Amino acid sequence: MTNHLVRLYASAGALAAFFVAWAGIAARPWAEQPLDPRLAALEQREQRLQRDATLVPQVVDRRWAAYRAALAQSRTQAGRADAPAPSVRVVTLPPVATTRSS
Amino acid sequence: MLRRRFTAMGTQIELMLEATPSAIAVRALAAAEADLCRLECLLSRFDPDSELSRLNERGTMVVGRELLELVELALAARERTGGRFDPTVHDALVAAGYDRTFAQLPGRSSAPPLAPARCAGDVRVHRESCTIELERGIRIDLGGIAKGYAADRASTILAEVGPCLVDAGGDIALRGRAWPVGVETAAGTLTLELTEGGLATSGRDRRRWTRGGEEQHHLIDPTTGRPAETDVLRVTVAAASAAEAEVQAKSLFLAGTTAALERANEHGLPVVLVTRDGWTLIAGGIA
Repeated sequence: MTNHLVRLYASAGALAAFFVAWAGIAARPWAEQPLDPRLAALEQREQRLQRDATLVPQVVDRRWAAYRAALAQSRTQAGRADAPAPSVRVVTLPPVATTRSS
Repeated sequence: MLRRRFTAMGTQIELMLEATPSAIAVRALAAAEADLCRLECLLSRFDPDSELSRLNERGTMVVGRELLELVELALAARERTGGRFDPTVHDALVAAGYDRTFAQLPGRSSAPPLAPARCAGDVRVHRESCTIELERGIRIDLGGIAKGYAADRASTILAEVGPCLVDAGGDIALRGRAWPVGVETAAGTLTLELTEGGLATSGRDRRRWTRGGEEQHHLIDPTTGRPAETDVLRVTVAAASAAEAEVQAKSLFLAGTTAALERANEHGLPVVLVTRDGWTLIAGGIA
């Protein structure tokens, strides 16, 4: 009687173990899960934004530096309005150019 | 000596560069020419697509660095000269008949000049937003100062390579060595020598025309809105830059002989002035 009971429990256990193993194998946990294309697009976009976020300050810094340099140069030139007039003397050389009413 | 001649800003331009022929010298000459042509595209009042024409049409506009800077320079010059130099003479020039390029302007027209236009208009420059705001009905002409400014910029480019002289239709910017430059006097040509800076001449002996039997010229007196009536035929000024020389030449022309010579001597501004009755006067410490 005891042997029968043990055999019954063992068979039921083996059957249960077989189904669990079969379910596990059927799920193919080693195979890559197919990604939702919307999720993939979002990920790509996030990466692009991160890249841009690092590039933008560099571009802004570069343009700002160029603007400052150009501004400083033109202010120097504009500042020449206050600069003293150059020294001028009369010579007897032939002129290379002639100033006239413009 | 390397030379390059071309036409821009309604006049003949000549670039002179004292350097041996080399790729860098040729590139500098090309860059200076390109800069002058680019400024003409931005600043011509005769080109309806220029930035200046668009500003004149719209009244308020976000503008580029060059126009912003030049308008600031012109406004500072107006203040410095007590209003004798004024960039808001556009409509007065048009009223006098100077409504197209000088090459297209008929020398003689039977149409009378229009009523003089108001000058000394309000112009606001907002540097932070790069915006220029013109008072309603006011338009800007940067003719003379733009040529001087362009000559100064071209000379800055060329000076990187060697001593240079830029002649923008009589507005001269020079750098790097002593350059002999001719000045027309009542009796002939006087040669002045200077090393750095600019020379400009303002006068009623050129750029003049007849309208309705009245002689007109391009130097507008902002107080009347009409071509200036003074006893000066032309005045040549040397200054630290060609743009400044242009401003001072126009201001002294409008001031008249006595005031011009007083101001030249007071500020040490080298001046050669020719009066309408044929005198040549030199002032401002020319040796």
